[in-house]
Amino acid sequence: MKLNSLAYWFIAFLSVIAPCHARADLVVVTGPKTGVPTLSKEEVINIYLGRYRRLPNGLPAEPLDMGEASETKKEFYWKLVEKTPAEINAYWARLVFSGQTRPPATVNSSDEVAARLMSRPGVLAYVEREKLDKRFVILYEFDR
Amino acid sequence: MALLVGGVSSYFISQSLREREQSQAIRSLSEALETVQSTASIAAFTNDKQLAGEVIQGLLRNSDILSVTIVVAGDTVLANGMRSSAKVFAPEFMDKPLSQPLASPFNKNETIGKIILQADWPTIEARVKQSTRDTLYLLLAEMIIVVLSVAAVMVFFVIRPIKKISDRLHQIEPGLGSSILVPEGHEKTEIGRLVGDINDLTGRLMMLLEEARAMQRQQQVAQRKYQNLFDCAVSGIFVADRDGHLDSFNQAFATLMWRSKPVNQENLSLFDAAWSRSDLIRSLLVLALEQETIGRIVADDFLLLDRRGEERWLSIAVTAPGDGTLQGTMTDVTARKREEMHARQLASLDALTGFANRQGLLEAIGQHAARGHAQTSFALVILNLDGFKQINESLGLPAGDEVLGIVAERIRQFIQPGDIPARSGGDEFVILFDGASPESAVDQRLNQFFSLLQQSHAMMTLEGTRVISLRASAGVAFYPKDGTNVHQLLRSAELALMSARTAGSHSYHFFEPSMLVAVEHRRRIEDDLKQAIGEGELYLGFQPIINLAAGKVIGAEALMRWAHPTRGMVSPDVFIPLAEEIGVIGELGLLVLENACRVVSQWRSVGHPLYVSVNVSALQIPNLLPPSVVLDALKRHGLPDDAIAIEITEGVLMGNVGAALEWMAELGAAGLRIYLDDFGTGYSSLSYLKRFPLNAVKIDKSFIRDLAEDSNDKALVNAIITMATSLTLDVIAEGVETEAHFKMLRDMGCHLGQGFLFSPAVKAELFADTVVDIEQRLALMNAAD
Repeated sequence: MKLNSLAYWFIAFLSVIAPCHARADLVVVTGPKTGVPTLSKEEVINIYLGRYRRLPNGLPAEPLDMGEASETKKEFYWKLVEKTPAEINAYWARLVFSGQTRPPATVNSSDEVAARLMSRPGVLAYVEREKLDKRFVILYEFDR
Repeated sequence: MALLVGGVSSYFISQSLREREQSQAIRSLSEALETVQSTASIAAFTNDKQLAGEVIQGLLRNSDILSVTIVVAGDTVLANGMRSSAKVFAPEFMDKPLSQPLASPFNKNETIGKIILQADWPTIEARVKQSTRDTLYLLLAEMIIVVLSVAAVMVFFVIRPIKKISDRLHQIEPGLGSSILVPEGHEKTEIGRLVGDINDLTGRLMMLLEEARAMQRQQQVAQRKYQNLFDCAVSGIFVADRDGHLDSFNQAFATLMWRSKPVNQENLSLFDAAWSRSDLIRSLLVLALEQETIGRIVADDFLLLDRRGEERWLSIAVTAPGDGTLQGTMTDVTARKREEMHARQLASLDALTGFANRQGLLEAIGQHAARGHAQTSFALVILNLDGFKQINESLGLPAGDEVLGIVAERIRQFIQPGDIPARSGGDEFVILFDGASPESAVDQRLNQFFSLLQQSHAMMTLEGTRVISLRASAGVAFYPKDGTNVHQLLRSAELALMSARTAGSHSYHFFEPSMLVAVEHRRRIEDDLKQAIGEGELYLGFQPIINLAAGKVIGAEALMRWAHPTRGMVSPDVFIPLAEEIGVIGELGLLVLENACRVVSQWRSVGHPLYVSVNVSALQIPNLLPPSVVLDALKRHGLPDDAIAIEITEGVLMGNVGAALEWMAELGAAGLRIYLDDFGTGYSSLSYLKRFPLNAVKIDKSFIRDLAEDSNDKALVNAIITMATSLTLDVIAEGVETEAHFKMLRDMGCHLGQGFLFSPAVKAELFADTVVDIEQRLALMNAAD
């Protein structure tokens, strides 16, 4: 925990001194039982932004999102569709009132991510490569 | 027209409004699509029917939109909606749907669907119509307001002021030139200026009117004046047509034409009077009409014989003013005509003799010749008295007149009926012998006349009774043989007269054609003389003058010689009178003086103390050879005053005596000697010798010639020598031709002599030898005594 908080602070520092977010190496992962080996970037976009609600194998897709203040979330959406979290929020704001489509569920820690990923198949998340668990299946890797 | 323009313009306005409204509607629909596009694309992205439906509902709130459809990939209708209030759904409006493709919100290049919008065209049409109508109404209202305002402005600022001006113009009194007032408030507008212009114009018109009135008054006055002139004129005035029918005439005209005889003013003619030559009047009228274009006045005098046979001369002056009529004046010139006739009679008469004068003679001969019978012949005699000038000069002009009277009297005694005597001037008479033929008859008659004329006549003079014998010369020419007109005849007779005079006193010659040749000859000599002076054909010869007692040459007389290139030597007796006649004598005289001076100065420069005497013609004194010129010539050649002597003839002393005396006195005072030449031949009056400052007389050679044989001549010469000596005058004998002459003269005490015995005139360069020769011969002669 102490080490984690140290790394956190280090990353925070890095993010302050560097104008670019592209420092952390993000990957999209899922649990071992999902049964999907990999996803294209378009499939990631369609799932995360509410177009598809199922994975290619027909399993309902359950993407996870990080909390509002998360640097990771910020970096993920930038890398994915070049949008800021505020823009992503505005996007969802139009959809939520229709009641048909919901934004991804939000988790606040990596532990919770791991727990959810492991809880049932079809859950997706994006994590930093350093925090990768051996049990996770990498569905998509951003270009370095 | 206004309706047509309004209709057309409103049609175009409504068309343009329609188009604008339609494009506006389409633009607003496009804008509406733009605003919903991002939401619609999100809905299409997520296939969210709910969201799409919301978007459609929002769009349908725009009344222009009839229906909206959102389609996603594969033409699947995601959602659609239609206006519920749409009542008319005309299919013709369905062909213009607005379609907008929808891009993915996360990838602009990926089209994920489209939104199709159907506009509510009937609604739009209706709205456009409404809007167009509103605009047109507005425009109409605007126009009405503008028209009304313009009308109001026109009424208040133009029409009413013009109406006012017009009213005031109507009130103006046209003849008085009053001006109109400027309408209030228009002092500085165009209206005010217009009023000013109108006032100016009326002022000018008034001025013109005034001028026209003045002119009219003037014309009236002038007409009255002319009427008075016409009525009261002393001259007759008339207007007639080209045939002489009188249109109008005044009282004076009537009186001149018809005396007191009452005349009927109607149908009178210029020819209704006893004109002696009415044909001449007719030609005068024709002449006036011919000159119509230049309007010249033609006039002439005409004789009218009235009933009592009284002659009346009327002068008629006519001009044609250009309209085919004739205007004329008529004056009574009877008195003037009579005077003229009298004067003509006087003018052709010589007062002294009562004969015709030259003018009368010409007329008489003219009439005579003009009688024109083929047989007509007459002789014209020109008679000239010999020595009449001397009679006039020695006895006075009254004596001359008396002589002329005697001649006239004798002519009158002599002539026969039909002959015409005339005095043509001076001592020249002309007698026309009528029907004179043949020549022998004339010859006989003239012989009689000459002897009649020659009869001596005793004249009472201041000095006592003097008996004179009249002598004359005459020239005769015959008509038509010697001339067919007056001038030719006179000329021929004059030539004959000249010939007679040359031949000697008291004779007459008939004209001969050769006389014309002689005249021509003389004229040619004249020409030659003029040329000779220019070309130096004239030169001086010097005839030695000898001191008879001493046997020495003391001087010479300079004599002009003319060596004519074809005629040979021409005598001075011929060319000196010619030079006098043609006016070159002055030039000749100067030539002689100059040459004489030059020769004398040459002689003197080689030791011969000789002098030269030069002959001076009467014509040269005093002006052609002024003393100053003579003295100047002497001075220029460095000669003393006694180196030149002047020889004059008696003619000099008989002319202008005062001037000659002065001339001689001036030269004499300067020391020049003056000789009287040809002494004894003329009227040699001894009083000359006393009155004039002479130094010597030259005895004429005619006295010397017969000196040895004629005792009279000897006595005369002796007397002259004695008298001259007693008057302390030198004597020079001319024409010493023989030794006898020389010895007699020397023994009579004659100092000086010249003549062929000694030498003729020789050229200057031979003179020295001649002197030597003479003196040798004289020494021999003297030694022989």
